[in-house]
Amino acid sequence: MKYSYNWLKWYIPDAPEAEELADIFTYHLAEVESLEKIKDGKEEDTIFDIKILPNRAHDLLSHQGLAREMASLLEIKYNDPTPKYKITKSKPTKLIKTIETPGCRRYMGRIVRNVKIGPSPDWVVKHLESIGQRSINNMVDATNLTMFDCGQPAHVFDLSKVKDLKLQVRQANPGEKITLLGGEEKTLNETMMVIADDYGNSLDIAGIKGGKYAELTAETTDIILECANFEPKSVRKTAQALNIFTDAKKRFENDLSPEVAAFGMTELSALIAEMCPEAVFEDIVDVYPSKPAPRKLSFRTEKICKILGLDVAANAIGDILKRYHIEYSENGGVFEITVPDLRLDLTMEEDMAEEIGRVLGYDKVKGTIPKIDFKPKGNELYAKIVWARSKLLNDGYSEVMTTSFKDKGKVSVLASASDKNYLRENLSDGLKESLKLNQTNAPVLGTDRVKIFEIGTVWTPSEEMRVGYVGKTEIKETTLDEFYKEMPKDFSLIERNYNLGAKFKMWPLYPFIARDLAVWVPEGTKSSDVEKIIKENMGDMVIRGPELFDEFKKDGKVSYAFRTVFQSYERTLTDAEINEIMAKISDKLKECGWEVR
Amino acid sequence: MSEENKKGLPAQAGTIHPLSLLAEEAYKVFSDMGFEIATGPELESEWYNFDVLNVPKDHPARDMQDTFVIKDAKEKVLRTHTTAVIARAIEQANKEGRIPSAFISVGKVFRNEATDFSHEMQFYQIDGGMIGENISLSNLKGVLAHFYKKMLGEDVEVEFRPSFFPFTEPSIEVFAKFNGKWLEMMGAGMAHPNVLKNIGLNPKKYQCLLFGGGLDRIAMIKWGVPDVRLFYQGDLRLNQI
Repeated sequence: MKYSYNWLKWYIPDAPEAEELADIFTYHLAEVESLEKIKDGKEEDTIFDIKILPNRAHDLLSHQGLAREMASLLEIKYNDPTPKYKITKSKPTKLIKTIETPGCRRYMGRIVRNVKIGPSPDWVVKHLESIGQRSINNMVDATNLTMFDCGQPAHVFDLSKVKDLKLQVRQANPGEKITLLGGEEKTLNETMMVIADDYGNSLDIAGIKGGKYAELTAETTDIILECANFEPKSVRKTAQALNIFTDAKKRFENDLSPEVAAFGMTELSALIAEMCPEAVFEDIVDVYPSKPAPRKLSFRTEKICKILGLDVAANAIGDILKRYHIEYSENGGVFEITVPDLRLDLTMEEDMAEEIGRVLGYDKVKGTIPKIDFKPKGNELYAKIVWARSKLLNDGYSEVMTTSFKDKGKVSVLASASDKNYLRENLSDGLKESLKLNQTNAPVLGTDRVKIFEIGTVWTPSEEMRVGYVGKTEIKETTLDEFYKEMPKDFSLIERNYNLGAKFKMWPLYPFIARDLAVWVPEGTKSSDVEKIIKENMGDMVIRGPELFDEFKKDGKVSYAFRTVFQSYERTLTDAEINEIMAKISDKLKECGWEVR
Repeated sequence: MSEENKKGLPAQAGTIHPLSLLAEEAYKVFSDMGFEIATGPELESEWYNFDVLNVPKDHPARDMQDTFVIKDAKEKVLRTHTTAVIARAIEQANKEGRIPSAFISVGKVFRNEATDFSHEMQFYQIDGGMIGENISLSNLKGVLAHFYKKMLGEDVEVEFRPSFFPFTEPSIEVFAKFNGKWLEMMGAGMAHPNVLKNIGLNPKKYQCLLFGGGLDRIAMIKWGVPDVRLFYQGDLRLNQI
């Protein structure tokens, strides 16, 4: 989620500078995916994109949520906006809201009359635009602002469209249709929840997206505010089935506490009161079938220390709990806390270990190598693989790895992001392609004999480990067990010395040109003398060589044959330019008195 | 013609795939620390890939990995991590009375996502776990710092950042400093009590460290290979070690 530094500072005015804050997020909370500095006229702001993961999506997907967390972490002041959100006058109401399904855990509504749809105040537009949201009109903006401010998704209906002032949350009827805001029509089924009237009209896909039916228009004067809470699994499944992804859905699917709805309603009302001072508010209708009981959690200081591998004193833990306004009692290092409503992630001792660990900072944990009373056994499969690889390498085969995905096979995968939907049933097909590629590149590889192998799994359709290899003759492929049967009884692994510190050199992506050159020299002349001349005149686009590949003596003369491979990192080389280079080399060799063949 | 080349191999020996070499090196480091090598199927059950590891159906945490689902086999998936192998190994070890224990596994894993220079549909992961009565986050740091120093050089530093995985609590993102830059290397943490319960162990008695990350990534950082897709094109020009 995107957070505006300036917006956060409304709540935590003593927050450190943006860069420092970003580091604090990283080491005590969550990953900062990006930091962007924006300028709006003379005002500067920093926008953090923080990756809030499912464990803290309950309470941190809002500016107030993040600000409260920072206030506790850094022990700085938090400006609680609640006192500002007082609606002084509220009239009795005839609004009726009912819950007809257990999937709705709280349903709040409020009638507001005499509003005027229009543009939002500047500060609202600034807030929304800073985090990449569009300003639409004052009412819609108020619902969005509420969500990004306190975390409660909210909705507004045109009252004139709500028959009898009755709204209910129920399961959809099979095949029930709804036209969404924006015009798209969706067909629902009975696993999905809707907000509806008593006449079979659905106004909203609960927790996900609103419908066109009760959409606000420029003429709207009376509205119904709604803050509700829905069961996470249902919202998630519905949204996935209908392929709709909204910020509201994201919050509900991660499980939002029903307690937030009340605060959301208060904030939304206050926003509207500010934007429309003539608005007349009616009493809030709150259907809250079962308020969750306060959750208690007991944990031991010694368990925290044991998990972290760090000595933490009970009073250090107590300090952290105080900072986070968590009520607790402690006796002999055993704590009992009342878990804050929004902290759905704190359910067991291990959660508290993480809480204490991250607040203190994991840099406090020092590394120690453990010693356990355990005798590891050899792994038979791995031993066979290592032997097979060793044998093939020793016999001159080079190892390749090819893809497990093919366009035919006995096992198929669904909805692949590529066009290869099958798991390979053999290694040979992949080896064939690899052989062709490597034979084409043989001059660059410096060999005229390409011998390759692969050890890997295939599906016939059952999973099988195979060995495939090919050299001069046709491709051979057997199961690893079959191949392993040939292991001699006195086998031992060949010690190999690899230069593990080597640096990889990427090869050019342009075609190469290989040229051979042979020259007669008097007996006694060293091949290195010929090589020197070639090297001096071959230019700087040689990827391999000159390499001596043939030599023989005849009539007091020696013939040396060299191969040189040209390739550029920037372009395709032309025959003409290589011909020129070869001609130059020939001339220089002739100048030495040698006969170019 | 049987003189040995610089590598101490017969002159006509073939070249090894860099990932095989790295896997062998990694296994050596962990074996020296007392870990047992574990292997498991690439086509895994949903149970071991997700459910055992506390990744419930219909939970946003399932979104954290792009999974290949198999046609006509709803309960099977191409494994998205080798953590499933570690879970199987510890479960089996418990049945055999071999607790405390430690396991390490390198294997091919699969992710159903678009490919680019740092993403492929198949790649190698290295996963490990150590279970005992006193295993802690401090041990996790010790083990991983040692491993990355062996892989990337003695100058490497390792740090832990807060994260979330459904199978660990606390959950950690492991970063290593290489050539002056902090690079994300692995996910890790202490096994979630539900994971231990699911494989038959008492979470009140035992603690288990878990870690897992890409082997390809280590190879790319260590040797400067610019594109992960190069590992699987069957091109011998890759074999430069």
